[in-house]
Amino acid sequence: MEKYIVELEHITKSFPGVLALNDVAFNLKAGEVLALLGENGAGKSTLMKILSGVYEKDSGSIKIFGKEIDDMNPKKAQELGVAIIHQELNMCAHLTVAQNIFLGREKIHSGVLAAKKMNMEAKKILDNLNINIDPETIVGDLPVSKQQMVEIAKALSINAKILIMDEPTSALTSKEINDLFVIIKKLRSEGCGIVYISHRLEELEHIVDRVTILRDGEYITSMDLQETTLAKIISHMVGREIKEKFPRVDCERGEKIFEVRNLNAGKMVRDINIDLYAGEIVGIAGLMGAGRTETTRAIFGIDPKESGEIILDGKSVKVEKPIDAIKLGIVLAPEDRKKDGLCTKLSIRDNISLPNLDVLCNKLGVVNKKKEKDMTKKAVDDLRIKLPNSEVDAGSLSGGNQQKVVIGKWLVRNSRVVIFDEPTRGIDVAAKVEIYNLMNELKQQGIGVLFVSSEMPEVLGISDRIIVMCDGRITGELRTEEATQDEILQYATSFEKKVDNGANA
Amino acid sequence: MIMTKNKGELTMGNDKQNAFKRIMAIRGMGQVITVAFGLIVLCIVFGIINPTFFSSKNIGNLLRQIAPILIIGIGQSYVLITGNIDLSIGSVVGMSCMISATLMTKGVNPLVAVFITIICCLIVGVLNGELVAKCKLPPFIATLGTMTIARGIAQIVNNNYNTDSIGDGAKVFRNFFYYGKTMGLYNTIWIAIVLWIVFNFILSKTRTGRHIYAIGSNIEASKLSGVNTSVTTIKVYVVSAICACTVGLVTTATSGMGTMDAGNSYEMYAVAASVIGGVSTLGGQGILLGTVIGASIWGVLQNGLQFAGAPVAIRNIIIGIIVVVSVLLDVVVRTGKPRKSRVN
Repeated sequence: MEKYIVELEHITKSFPGVLALNDVAFNLKAGEVLALLGENGAGKSTLMKILSGVYEKDSGSIKIFGKEIDDMNPKKAQELGVAIIHQELNMCAHLTVAQNIFLGREKIHSGVLAAKKMNMEAKKILDNLNINIDPETIVGDLPVSKQQMVEIAKALSINAKILIMDEPTSALTSKEINDLFVIIKKLRSEGCGIVYISHRLEELEHIVDRVTILRDGEYITSMDLQETTLAKIISHMVGREIKEKFPRVDCERGEKIFEVRNLNAGKMVRDINIDLYAGEIVGIAGLMGAGRTETTRAIFGIDPKESGEIILDGKSVKVEKPIDAIKLGIVLAPEDRKKDGLCTKLSIRDNISLPNLDVLCNKLGVVNKKKEKDMTKKAVDDLRIKLPNSEVDAGSLSGGNQQKVVIGKWLVRNSRVVIFDEPTRGIDVAAKVEIYNLMNELKQQGIGVLFVSSEMPEVLGISDRIIVMCDGRITGELRTEEATQDEILQYATSFEKKVDNGANA
Repeated sequence: MIMTKNKGELTMGNDKQNAFKRIMAIRGMGQVITVAFGLIVLCIVFGIINPTFFSSKNIGNLLRQIAPILIIGIGQSYVLITGNIDLSIGSVVGMSCMISATLMTKGVNPLVAVFITIICCLIVGVLNGELVAKCKLPPFIATLGTMTIARGIAQIVNNNYNTDSIGDGAKVFRNFFYYGKTMGLYNTIWIAIVLWIVFNFILSKTRTGRHIYAIGSNIEASKLSGVNTSVTTIKVYVVSAICACTVGLVTTATSGMGTMDAGNSYEMYAVAASVIGGVSTLGGQGILLGTVIGASIWGVLQNGLQFAGAPVAIRNIIIGIIVVVSVLLDVVVRTGKPRKSRVN
């Protein structure tokens, strides 16, 4: 049996309120490419962050090259030859390729930087990988794919033997992917162990030797790719137990309220068509980066639309800015509370009244305090927001209550369509159920509810109809009664083929 | 304890208590009260060093010294609360001073001169706002540019000379902005009070005021809530320019002539008055009552140190230290400890 260069056993890691990894095992051989697979939130990134020393494990053991390492940190990991290439590249865009490669360990010659020597060495490393880049180019001027190659070169220049790549192909074109695969194969033949994280299952057969699957923070299985099929892999990835109870309300489906026709806005929103009827909740499922948030942003008028039509109650409407949408009664509770949803330094009252000042002010623009107080009270009572008083900073509330404020500020005005983007992310189970109930209430009132979520059980549990997105396109639409998790994941990974079958055989 | 038992009998007390509670519930009030306490201590100290500090003549002068700092402080506070900064204030003061004085020495009716001056300053304010809101320039750079431009205009209007005396014809003008008194208070003080009341009302009671706080706290969330962030940003820079313009007119009235370097480094005095009074340079926080206290501390220090016989250099050093310490204290109070450098 070949020797493992990485052995992780019984790894457990919890964050406040979440058990991210539970007794996970993981191993990697020299000279193999291993795909680490799992749905959003399965624990892939957390596991790799533990291996590269970014997070500390709660318990378990880490062995690298047979040696037990107890106090892993990023520096130590680097010394041991573990390198991680993140999805978002970590480079100084204003420096040259060589400067980036030698960042933090610059070579000095009689007190000054030995620029020539570093350029030459960088060139050598790049040549070794058959990467044709001048080491004196500014990194920011290179295309993303080349930048990624520089990052790989940087990792190898510190003698990385264990290379972790997180979604390396998501920003690449097919030609670039092929180049990357050539490099990966070269590294494999030189004895590196490579962990490859990707949602693009169709890529696996081209480079991967073995797959390890995680689900809900637990180790599921490891198999040689030869001995398995894509269908099997998918069924291992899903099949999450639906632990939570989802409150369901059945409603008569009413008339069509809202339509999106042929909406285009950048790379992540391509030819989107959505219909929304009164008395139903439509869930938008998909993997991270499928373009769901971008779609909601384009509909709401935050990002400019290239083409397409928004139709409300049968009439074509113009939505160029959020204020247009709000006036029409289309509202959005955004994904990132802290960034897009709340003014954390302002009071809860201020936050709730902010989008409703048109209702609260007289003609001179003076705020009617009484109306404002009543509105705040109504929102707090309706949503059962728990707070000491409505004057405290919104930032001081718990995640669930913050989310309720973000939603509450929209529900005190009369809306026609409410769009929720990941409304239950990072909040506890009790608060989740309250938000589901709220969505059901809206549905009963005949308000259109559009709901983006990465949690498959939630999508299946709450929506009446499911739209699946992948790569900025709608790849499937299902009625909830007929939908299965396997089917959704199948649609969610229907990437446009970037790699020709057989091109790399 | 007794209060709770005898609820019915103590309604009067409760009313008072409620009023007190309501005032204390205003955001940022706690900090303002702390700083106000510091102001009182300062006054007492200066009074002990030199009892004439409390003479009615000096109090009158002191208030007249505070007034211009308060006026530019209001403008800068508006801008700071949106999370931006206005460095052009001092130059706009100079520009306003030179334009109004030059016009009046040329025999233009003071009323017309004031009107033209206001228009010129408004243009600078709108330009600042456009550069920051529409062209997305960092506010520091945008207003650094307009600061230099406005100073250049101040120099060019009278061919690089200070003006002659604005003459007797402008007596009404000088009385209105500086020498005259209304109900026992100098007019300059009244101007500051009126501006404060108006702008405090706008900031605390109106839709525009809410928008100012909101974009300072989280500009993305504000946009998503339908706030027109560009218009709001332009508004605050216009307010700042109007305030600076007013101070420029006061300066002309004071000296009876136009001086090209009038208002030099006033933008920093304005930042100091705001920040001492609890306005956060990061935006979203602060009230104009704080700016009053901040401007007062500034004025009292200047005036008191002068009375105590401290030379200018020492005054500058002490005031500089007070600005830094007051902000540091604020950070300590808010977070419990000064920011620690990260230990690796």
